[in-house]
Amino acid sequence: MGHPGDDALLHQRVVSGDESALAELYDRLAPLVFGLCVRVTRDRAIAEDLTQEVFLTFWERPLAFDPARGTLRAWLATIAHRRSVDHVRGEERKKASQLGPRLFEREPDPVEDTVLDAEDSVRVREAVRSLPTEQREALEMAYWGGRTYRQVAESLGLPEGTVKSRIRQALRQLAGMLAEEGVR
Amino acid sequence: MNPVERLYLDALEEATGRDEVPPPAPLLGVARARRRPATATVAWAAPYAGRVAAMDAVLASASAGDWASTVVEGWTLQQLVAHLTAKDGLVADDVGAPVLGPPMCGRDALERTAEMQAYEDARTPEETRETWREQAEVLCRHLTRVAPDTPSSPDGLPVPVRDAMLGRSLETWVHSDDAARTAELRLPPPVAGHLHPMADLCARLLPWTMLATGADAGGRTVRVTLTGPGGGTWLVPLSVDDPRRVREDAPGDAQAHIVTDVVDFCFLLGGRGAPETLPAEIEGDAGLAREVLVAAPAFSGP
Repeated sequence: MGHPGDDALLHQRVVSGDESALAELYDRLAPLVFGLCVRVTRDRAIAEDLTQEVFLTFWERPLAFDPARGTLRAWLATIAHRRSVDHVRGEERKKASQLGPRLFEREPDPVEDTVLDAEDSVRVREAVRSLPTEQREALEMAYWGGRTYRQVAESLGLPEGTVKSRIRQALRQLAGMLAEEGVR
Repeated sequence: MNPVERLYLDALEEATGRDEVPPPAPLLGVARARRRPATATVAWAAPYAGRVAAMDAVLASASAGDWASTVVEGWTLQQLVAHLTAKDGLVADDVGAPVLGPPMCGRDALERTAEMQAYEDARTPEETRETWREQAEVLCRHLTRVAPDTPSSPDGLPVPVRDAMLGRSLETWVHSDDAARTAELRLPPPVAGHLHPMADLCARLLPWTMLATGADAGGRTVRVTLTGPGGGTWLVPLSVDDPRRVREDAPGDAQAHIVTDVVDFCFLLGGRGAPETLPAEIEGDAGLAREVLVAAPAFSGP
């Protein structure tokens, strides 16, 4: 998932024109960005293009991101979500003919822009409620309670590995439920 | 990002198999065309190549209004970029690399700057950016065939070209920070590996800034600790004719010890920030430490 310190260093390297930093970032965050684009567009080919565009945006104008204001993960997810939604709404074509390429566009403010609207966040909460108790408990402690895997393990009196796999299972199940519900 | 959003993103990530993700190769090819990576060069010029790429990132985000705004020295961003091209061209001239722009009439940095600014005045910001970037790249590529102790004198006095390039890194950095501030962007500092040699240059300049300001070094010595990534501790004999050189991690007595942030210190030498307000911890002879800090910006010019 990365730490804020990793973000700051990756940002410094990308600003300094270090391509290997872009490759590392892609390795770390492409599954998330691509997953998000597929989920919203339901089109793998389009999602591949959008994923590339999201990372290119960061490479081309890295100063639009400010590590003091949020994580790179949240920032890229926000751009991925917005671009995907734009695509679905057919706005991309309109924008391209009216404005030409996005030369001077300011990137979204992660504080204002979100990856989930109010209705969808209700659906996520409902999906969590329908998970088996064991999974739900661990998930809620980790996300709502802001605890580390180790702390969750201590509270539940379970080995950390068990908690980790329980949470991963829960996340996968959640993703499946949300796909059926059409959350994007 | 709230917990529900984090959960949603983690679920998406968990559900996406690594093998489903498109390979990175096409991305890197397109990235290179959209914004050029740092030019490959010799290790001692890498900090400069990194600062050029960072300046280019500032320019990539600059709007038409930013290009016309006054940044520093009464110059617009376009004139500032022309100034950087002019100074880089003086180093290029010293080492036999191609010099871009109009024919060079003289070696004076300000005169060459005026020539380059007059030339760029009739061109678009994109053309000015392109000439600057191209000058930087031909210089970086040429330096792979140049001995690091080849003399170069972009500021009048001959120094080994490896130091001239560290000076160019520092100036490019300070000016890209000026430009970023004007465009309301925050420029992160260089990576530690690039910052450290620039900090070392700044430490080695201290005896010369003392000399330039007429401060009486009188065989005295200070120790300077620069904190943060890329920092270190230098023993600085303050007379230029002291047989002991400025050295990092050197043993020896010092009359004062100055501890300050490595970025703040480099910017002080670069003429940004006042010596009086620089956050610094000082041990020993406070008067001497103050003399050193007050003299530090002596070589900062346009």
